[in-house]
Amino acid sequence: MPQATDSPSSPPTSNQGPRLSRRGLERLDLLLLVVEALDLNGGEAMLWMSEQLGFTALFPNRVELWKRRCTNPLRRTTRRDSLAPAESEALIRILCAMADRLYPLLRALLSTAEPPEVTQQRWDLFQARLAELMRERMNPRRGAVHNLLDPESGFAQRRQLIQTLALASGEGGVDRLRASLLDAAA
Amino acid sequence: MKTTLRFDQISCRLQVEGLPDASAGQASDAVGILTGWTLQWAGRPELEGRKEHLEALMTVVLPYARHLISGVTRRFGEEPLPVEIGPHPEGGHALLLRSSQPGTPPLQVRLDDAELADLVRVLDQLRTDARFKLPIALPAAQPLRGRELEQRTPLIQRVAAPVGGALALALVAGVGLLLPVPRPLPQQEPAVRSTTAAPGAPAKPEATTRP
Repeated sequence: MPQATDSPSSPPTSNQGPRLSRRGLERLDLLLLVVEALDLNGGEAMLWMSEQLGFTALFPNRVELWKRRCTNPLRRTTRRDSLAPAESEALIRILCAMADRLYPLLRALLSTAEPPEVTQQRWDLFQARLAELMRERMNPRRGAVHNLLDPESGFAQRRQLIQTLALASGEGGVDRLRASLLDAAA
Repeated sequence: MKTTLRFDQISCRLQVEGLPDASAGQASDAVGILTGWTLQWAGRPELEGRKEHLEALMTVVLPYARHLISGVTRRFGEEPLPVEIGPHPEGGHALLLRSSQPGTPPLQVRLDDAELADLVRVLDQLRTDARFKLPIALPAAQPLRGRELEQRTPLIQRVAAPVGGALALALVAGVGLLLPVPRPLPQQEPAVRSTTAAPGAPAKPEATTRP
């Protein structure tokens, strides 16, 4: 049978289910940050998407959304509590819907069909915007943040984040992304 | 009446044709019996096949994408399956299609990351389409175990810690063996305790006599 995928219109309300690990929280928030780096109005778009998907009860305003994202241990101001399963599921669905919306941009970054200099310009722009957001919000003393900000050694990791968003975009990507965020610690 | 489902992305188009399964009470626009499918690529030969080929394509490509999200690249689709996918040695992804016609060599298609994402999206659109009623057994996306994730760490990085630990242990043991064994101290006589204090007098400190 085809895999059953819940409709995005049915918001998750159950708090049953596995909680994201520390690494899962880091990745989820980093992917949301990548979305913001790609979309200059990403923060507003995220809140709008949350309303569209019916998550207003979980994230009634941008402060609540921001507080949930601050469970990322790499943040400058981090919260010690964890995300409830319903909250992480809602953030995953918002992320997949945003990735679907930004798919043409993601695809353009990954494509080898276009001239290399055009692709390089796109990557430079993305990297500059991501670095700006990371310096603003993330703890620069953390090794993971430092590595991701490095123009040379962080490229593979940034590409992996873009590829993750491209493969998780849309309704069909929700299961894949959720499973990858629940991966065992390597 | 034949129904055609079409899913478009920038580099590929998946078209599925079929009929509703009247015995299962499916709607007239449903595809419960597959009569054929085609996958058109920009600048590449068109692929077509039967239900088994579409099933093999989905069974191989979707788990490959699932592993890629976790940073793990491994091959999917062993010999009896008509489709195989894995990392291409020169970058990108190699999709191998084995023909059921005898004597026909397998066709290899090299995809970049964007083309793979397009392929995954058309397959996702097909499997989540409410009109597509064909039973296709797909493994559910599961979290990967630690052993499966080891592959994404380079071998040198993985063995560095245990090899370094073993070398440090061997070095410390070697240095320990080079040190001279301490000689035993000469035997000492037991200490003699003098108890000359009268009852009621303040206690004197203990004195010991040496030979």
